Amino acid sequence: MLVKLIEMIENNAETMAGELKNKLLTDPATPSYQTLDDRILYENIFEVYSRLGYWLLRDAEKGEVPTHYSAIGAQRFKEGFPLHQVVQALVATKRHIWDTILEKGIMRTAKELDSAVDFITYLNRFFDMAIYYTTLGYYRALNLKTAS
Amino acid sequence: MLSKKIIHLIEANALQLSNEIQQRLLTHPSTSSYRDIDEKTLHAWIYDVCSRFSYWLDEDRERGEVEEHYRNLGKERFKQDFDLPQVISALYLTKRRLWEFMAASREPDSALNLNQIVEASFLLVRFFDHVVLQVTEGYEEMLLSKHGYEAPLSKPEQLAQALEAKRKREEVVDEEPKLPTLCFTKGMIRLG
Repeated sequence: MLVKLIEMIENNAETMAGELKNKLLTDPATPSYQTLDDRILYENIFEVYSRLGYWLLRDAEKGEVPTHYSAIGAQRFKEGFPLHQVVQALVATKRHIWDTILEKGIMRTAKELDSAVDFITYLNRFFDMAIYYTTLGYYRALNLKTAS
Repeated sequence: MLSKKIIHLIEANALQLSNEIQQRLLTHPSTSSYRDIDEKTLHAWIYDVCSRFSYWLDEDRERGEVEEHYRNLGKERFKQDFDLPQVISALYLTKRRLWEFMAASREPDSALNLNQIVEASFLLVRFFDHVVLQVTEGYEEMLLSKHGYEAPLSKPEQLAQALEAKRKREEVVDEEPKLPTLCFTKGMIRLG
């Protein structure tokens, strides 16, 4: 059932990435994202949703999250984004997953709800790490700049 | 509200949870700066979150207490020379322990109990998302006031320039490719 929830997100990755892209481009809390090329923004979001199973369940062995998200943090610093907007965008990425699951109404039975508890654990663990490492990458780039 | 029971359970176990969270912060490599904080102060901060959890979760937007409290916390940690990632990690370690506690009360066959947990998780996650954002903004305000650092795209004129640059990039992409003009002269084709 946990896998079913993940697959549901992966199978809807295109639509969800399009929806979130539009949200970030119009949300007054994330104006910096309007400066990114639409295609790049879409691909960044699609990359998370279409490989959610990898990020949530399998990356623990490979440990790609620290390098991937530190690099994103450093990149956003280089592009001049305020950090709180980057954090806001990651929070919105997570929230859109949860909203989609609620919208699809696939948490009715005890079995489904039990899987949802596992899903929440994995989802939050991943996004907590993603936000932490993004902040770390941004902060290190900022320190390098202020030190130089 | 379904989640009330679970939230009250956290408050009833606030002391034990605070002790455990404090130990995590004091031993975790990503929160090493917290070893420099007075233990009583650190404990009081964690205990305040756990013992008044329903108060913090119910905090209405008009009062704006979470916003003010955690924005000030971000400023305070800056003044104390904490790295921002350490502050964020401390918040996430706190959230994780509270979530583990909630999830441990699950009864796999009870839809009511599981609904309570899912609803409580929603409140927990929303609260910490808000907190992390406020701490980050407070910290960034101090970067501006103490070091004069402001992210370029925070400034309206630089944002406008960046948007203009993007518009121009897109114009180039959207333009129809221009074919060279063909000029026919006797015996040859000259490209205009």
